[in-house]
Amino acid sequence: MAPKDTSIIAAGTVIRGRIQSDGDLEIHGHVEGTVEVAGHLVVGPDGMVKSDLAAQSVVVAGAVSGNLRGSERVVLEDGARVVGDVSAPSIGIRPGAKLRGRVATGEAPAAEARPARSPAAAVASKSTARQAPVVAPPPRVAAKVSAPPVTKPAATPPAVRAEAAPKRAPEPVVPALQKRTKKAQKRRAR
Amino acid sequence: MAKGSTEATVLGRGLRVRGRVRGEGDLRVEAQVEGDVTVSGALELGEGAEVRGAVAAETVTVSGALRGDVEVRGEVVVTATGSLRGDVEAASLVLEEGGQFHGRVSADFELPDALA
Amino acid sequence: MAATVIGPGITIEGEVSSDDEVIVGGTLRGKLESEGAVTVEGDAVVEADIAAQSVAIGGHVTGNVTANDRVDLLSGGRLVGDVKAARLTIADGAVFKGNVDMEV
Repeated sequence: MAPKDTSIIAAGTVIRGRIQSDGDLEIHGHVEGTVEVAGHLVVGPDGMVKSDLAAQSVVVAGAVSGNLRGSERVVLEDGARVVGDVSAPSIGIRPGAKLRGRVATGEAPAAEARPARSPAAAVASKSTARQAPVVAPPPRVAAKVSAPPVTKPAATPPAVRAEAAPKRAPEPVVPALQKRTKKAQKRRAR
Repeated sequence: MAKGSTEATVLGRGLRVRGRVRGEGDLRVEAQVEGDVTVSGALELGEGAEVRGAVAAETVTVSGALRGDVEVRGEVVVTATGSLRGDVEAASLVLEEGGQFHGRVSADFELPDALA
Repeated sequence: MAATVIGPGITIEGEVSSDDEVIVGGTLRGKLESEGAVTVEGDAVVEADIAAQSVAIGGHVTGNVTANDRVDLLSGGRLVGDVKAARLTIADGAVFKGNVDMEV
């Protein structure tokens, strides 16, 4: 079994939407959307991903249509089929991996908060800012996963979220900012 | 490369070549070359090699510095000490971790239908 | 086929559908469908309709829950939404607000 911190999207699971993780993630199913992982990301041989992928390390053995960005490394294993740009300080393309796209080694992707959108070209212009946890909490993630990357349980967010409960499909940004303000107000009230 | 092999030519260290390099068979380059390199066999760039120019061969192994596009029928390998700046057209590309590569790579393959 | 585990550090906004078990420990907003069992763990937050073979809720769910078999709302669990299932249990300490439709 994978370590406790690792989440797994099994083969036979389809996810359409946005995935954010402050831990590790293994994808063996089908994912369409955007994927941002603070830790290690693995796309297994059965994995099929139509999404940009950003993580500390990205290892791909399956099929990906999207750009790959690793703050540490990206590795394409035998059997990988990737159409998209690849950038990381260290990149490995193993025999048997197939790639169509741009490759740029030696650059730390600078767009920590929003790595998914911008192509490698935009990354190249700001390659100086280099922090270890690339996808470590941008403001939106902080609101969802309790701001500092300390294992604070979801004690505060649900209470706040309950007030926003009637909204089934909130716009990501505005409610998040409201939540942060409310959380800050609660902190100040103490 | 086997010493004394009649197939392999070596452009040794300390050699500076300005101009095109063409050849049948395999070629090992340790030198500085400014110009296109075309061989029918395997092309190997040693750690100290510096080549500026387009490269065409059956296969290419880059352990030194190559600045130029690469067109091969077989495989391109950039080793851990290699540095390649240019676009690659090949059946396959292998990049060892530590190796540097900036450029496009186009391999001929299809993604699964679900990702088309 | 294996279980999908959406751990505590994960946030998913979108639709999730699985032909096997799904265990949610993180945050999910959107829609969740499974042909197997769905478990919403203690600290998980789900803002989505859930449709599955069976659903066990130990965390917070806001959405309608539909199960072919059973829905179990565990102690510590909180459900705001309607339930449609053949069987339903609500443990002591659970919080529930919604309508119940038990098919015959």
